[in-house]
Amino acid sequence: MSAEQSSIRNVLLVGLGGHGVLSLSRIIAEGALEAGFDVRKSEIHGMSQRRGSVVSEVRYGDVVRSPLIPGRGADMLLSLELLEALRHLHRLRPDGVLLVNDQRITPAPTGSGPVDYPEDAAGRLREIAPGARIVPAHDIAVELGEPRATNMVMLGAFAAITPEIELKVWEQIIETAFRPAVRPVNLAAFQRGLELATRA
Amino acid sequence: MPNRILLSGNEAIAEGALEAGAHFACAYPGTPSTEILETLSRRGGIRSEWAPNEKVAYEAAYGASLGGARALVSMKHVGVNVAADPLFSSSYSGVNGGLVLVSADDPAMHSSQNEQDNRQLARAAKIPVLEPSDSQEAKDFTLRAFSISERFDTPVMLRVTTRICHSMSPVETERDRSWPKAPIRDYDRNFRKHVLLPANARPRHVFVERRMEELEQFANGERDLNRIEWGDRTVGVITSGVAYQYVRETMPDASILKLGMPHPMPRDLVREFAAGVDEIYVVEELDPFIELQVRALGIPAIGKEVFPLTGELNPDLVERGFRLSGSGTASGGTGPETVVAAPPLPVRPPVLCAGCGHRGVFYTLSKLGLIVTGDIGCYTLGALRPLESMDTCLCMGASIGMAHGMEAALRANGDERRVVGVIGDSTFMHSGITGLINTVYNGGSSTILVLDNGTTAMTGRQDHPGTGVTASGEPGGLVDIAALCRAIGIRRVRDVDPYDLEALEAALDEELSADEPSVIICRAVCRLVDRTPIAPSVRLDIECPGCGTCFELGCPAIEARDGAAVFDPEICCGCGLCVQICPFCGLHVEGREELEPA
Repeated sequence: MSAEQSSIRNVLLVGLGGHGVLSLSRIIAEGALEAGFDVRKSEIHGMSQRRGSVVSEVRYGDVVRSPLIPGRGADMLLSLELLEALRHLHRLRPDGVLLVNDQRITPAPTGSGPVDYPEDAAGRLREIAPGARIVPAHDIAVELGEPRATNMVMLGAFAAITPEIELKVWEQIIETAFRPAVRPVNLAAFQRGLELATRA
Repeated sequence: MPNRILLSGNEAIAEGALEAGAHFACAYPGTPSTEILETLSRRGGIRSEWAPNEKVAYEAAYGASLGGARALVSMKHVGVNVAADPLFSSSYSGVNGGLVLVSADDPAMHSSQNEQDNRQLARAAKIPVLEPSDSQEAKDFTLRAFSISERFDTPVMLRVTTRICHSMSPVETERDRSWPKAPIRDYDRNFRKHVLLPANARPRHVFVERRMEELEQFANGERDLNRIEWGDRTVGVITSGVAYQYVRETMPDASILKLGMPHPMPRDLVREFAAGVDEIYVVEELDPFIELQVRALGIPAIGKEVFPLTGELNPDLVERGFRLSGSGTASGGTGPETVVAAPPLPVRPPVLCAGCGHRGVFYTLSKLGLIVTGDIGCYTLGALRPLESMDTCLCMGASIGMAHGMEAALRANGDERRVVGVIGDSTFMHSGITGLINTVYNGGSSTILVLDNGTTAMTGRQDHPGTGVTASGEPGGLVDIAALCRAIGIRRVRDVDPYDLEALEAALDEELSADEPSVIICRAVCRLVDRTPIAPSVRLDIECPGCGTCFELGCPAIEARDGAAVFDPEICCGCGLCVQICPFCGLHVEGREELEPA
């Protein structure tokens, strides 16, 4: 691996269409740029609001060229759903960080093929990746009265383990990314995510 | 100090058009190109329009160009096929104000029906192609495209791909991102140039060939567009577009010739590069467009033997190609060993949204076992499990023409099965209407279902002539689909509530038995446009015996848990389809009791 590449942080974000994966990855990319890094972000969003699997890739470092993470090179897998984490786990490096929202969303029946949703998906994740951080982001967002803020809880958990980007960068971005009406709840979700990961 | 902002390729193209002082932009929505016009209409300061299809969009932009304004027209790769007629001829008649055609190609067909390489179309049309490799270049090359267009009197294709359009990277721009408009050039009538009668077109073809030679000389000298990055002289790589980034990452030490302008190919520059390295590789997505031209110069090149001809490239495929060819210098790419092989998991294909107005239509079509010629849009999902009620999906508007021809063939074969064409409202405006005129004129008797959800849904909800709202959100002229159908001679035009399965089935029965063409308009606003629930969430009043009937709707709000149906109140919007088909009458929606089976 070249020196250029070894400085790169590769973050793979996965979830379902309409789940907030793309807005989360945009905020992470903006944060990395604000912190002075070169950034590339890539995704496919033709099906993004139709509950299909959605993948977004963010890379930041001194110099980044490819918008795509080399196949098995993710330093972090951030998943908004358990099954999607299992689906993309093979792209995480052995020493990579797995951060998963503890939520189970089953595919529409009879559309999903012959295989059933894995029983105890969380257990399977922990078995494969013992360091997995499985956090109740959706539960917290529901508790805050805004299920759609799940992704901001996840951002908080992400921010807690990425000290290379200062906390005030994220707070500033959340301030500008959301309408005034939903700003407080998203900031609160971010704070809860921070505390969550710090404790974990 | 320059301002660094994060832009997608599409946003960067829009930025470039604004910086170039363009006056006019138009498009028909199509993934991955849509956000170019959306960005322009949001930013303002430029006239931005949705056209009903790409041919009209190109013609409108070309008219603006001849009128003296800088104009940009954007579309997905297959849209250029629709616009090919005016494109090919405008290559002869040239421009006045700069004219840039953005062709957004979709290698890997993330959201397309084919993966044609539109550099080939540009070569056939004899116009130059610029190909950016990130957002910065997407902006810079858009500016360059306008000046090349004006200098060489030619439309210019800016060819981008999904990975450019939908990737984000930093772009340097001014802090104050408002630019003056380019002066509009005077319009003068020019019979010999603009009226393509044969006698005028013949000398224009000679002009076109000379222009391509001049463009090649220009391309040889423009080292900011086509540049050599000397490195290790044993390996030389010629590349373009996003593939350049994969090569730089995979082969950090190799010598690279990066072609920002792959057509016309700068042959002198290629010869100079080839003379300076031991071995030449060509790394490009899809067709061997550069590779064949390099070989035509007598330069042996390694390309499609090791880099795939189909699908999109990525760092791993590029690394693999170099490894296969025996070049030992490839670095990176593979990364460390994987944690675990992926176990078999349930797939999660995109589905029609909960409450989508299309669902009941496909459920009914499936139940009646009709032959269904389909079309392009969200409703193409009706071809997938469990609805599986669509026989064909070819191109924009094909459903209607195909229904007519297929019915003729079936009848000639003594096959009495009935054919139904299914098309969305935006697709109908795009190119459905001409197919319907054909059916009327030639005495066909097709039944056409127009699934009218009041938007261009699949590409992210853009307005169109049937919504009466323009790209800038202003009120515009409204084209009424029912009135239009009547005006061309369809006598049987009717509206049916697509949430009422009984009414749908009755309407289909009646129209299919009529010996003349008919149109059934199923109007239900897209759930992503109007998210207010239709009614409260569905309520299960019995213990579900697990017969699975409601699973046949493929509704994401219905989950099978131990065989029984469980309803997700977070996304159920009370459309009531499941209420109508539950054989145990166990489902209810408050206020929609009329739907319950008697």
